Amino acid sequence: MAGRALAFADPEIIRMASHDFIPVAGDDWYQRRRQDAEGEFFRSVADQGPRKGAGGATRQGIYCLTASGKLLAYKNAGQNPQVMREVLRDALVAWNRLPSDERRPGAVEIPPLERADDRYTRTLAEGGLVVNVYTRALERNEDRTLETCSTRGTGYEGFATALDHLWLTEADGRSLLPDSPREGQAYPLAPRIAERILRFHLVDNTRGEPPFWRADDIRSSRLTVEIEAVTPEQVRLRLEGQALLATDADPARAERGYDASLLGWITFDRKRQIDAFDIVALGEHWGEGPYTRGARPGRTPLAIVMQLTAGDSPADRVPPAAMRNPQEYLSPSR
Amino acid sequence: MRVRMIPRRVVWMVLAMGAALLPCAGPGRLQAAEALTRGVYDRVLELVRPEGIDQLVGEIPWGIDLWQARRQAAAEGKPILLWEMDGHPLGCT
Repeated sequence: MAGRALAFADPEIIRMASHDFIPVAGDDWYQRRRQDAEGEFFRSVADQGPRKGAGGATRQGIYCLTASGKLLAYKNAGQNPQVMREVLRDALVAWNRLPSDERRPGAVEIPPLERADDRYTRTLAEGGLVVNVYTRALERNEDRTLETCSTRGTGYEGFATALDHLWLTEADGRSLLPDSPREGQAYPLAPRIAERILRFHLVDNTRGEPPFWRADDIRSSRLTVEIEAVTPEQVRLRLEGQALLATDADPARAERGYDASLLGWITFDRKRQIDAFDIVALGEHWGEGPYTRGARPGRTPLAIVMQLTAGDSPADRVPPAAMRNPQEYLSPSR
Repeated sequence: MRVRMIPRRVVWMVLAMGAALLPCAGPGRLQAAEALTRGVYDRVLELVRPEGIDQLVGEIPWGIDLWQARRQAAAEGKPILLWEMDGHPLGCT
């Protein structure tokens, strides 16, 4: 995934994308399915290029287009900065060849979107929280201290930090704290939050879209919350525990697994709103999925950090990858 | 010496409980994961957390609403650059 973002770290591409274009990013899984004016618009543009989505296939790529829906340039992915620069330049040449009355501001009038296809749009309900979930493959020194991995000469990929989001609803937040919290009080993490974290966020997404864990893949888990401090200003919870996730009941035979420990702190302000959520998971991961090929052999350290975000940037509003199935993501299975 | 007999139903209850707990003692039990210390916690934060979200999603001011981008492009007289991936580029990078 980081490789795809490589081109967009190039200064010339940043300048063109930021100043000469209106840049927008989307998840093709939703866009190619949605049955509304936005979905129809996207498909009509994609149909002008090579990705016509036959049989529901992917239409992913880099598209340069006009507001009226004319495709100016297309390229699949964007790992090579030189190629990407040429795509953007070609698109600007094509744009400048259009009649000036098609290009001037206000030449095309686009009405507001009247109806969005709810089946393929995801919005966090009011009162919900967005937690950034960072994942990174690590390695151990001889003294077992942790280090980032070097990509050079290893033949493996995915050593940059990957990003996803954990959504917590208002009800999730309330479920974390008893009505009358007392220091030293300990209890299990609410099952629906525990399952959401384990199945959908303790995953290796460092090389692409990961397979999520099935409910049965949680071979054992213990996530305990302890109230560490209660003051008029805040209540601080300590979360700790362990989880074994594996595709086979016998981890030695499992093709994919994660054997991890968790530790972190969650604090509530005087209005009983979560104002900090800092959880770390560290353990040994093994195996790969159909879209995450190139894993290191054997069991290797994988670390995951979860931290509350302000939720005020467009990137913060990107739904969790597992929200393609909102029922499974938000609701407990057991 | 008098030996007190254990009622049969208690024996069955103990055996049943043992059977129910068997998966926890088998291969599915917690394995190598060591409990995290505060020191390891801090080290992982240092290694994994980016200094800013820009490190992950870059400096380009990406929007996430194609229809809104379309309206903005029309109003400003600019073309649209759409980065469309399976797995959101700003959320699965």
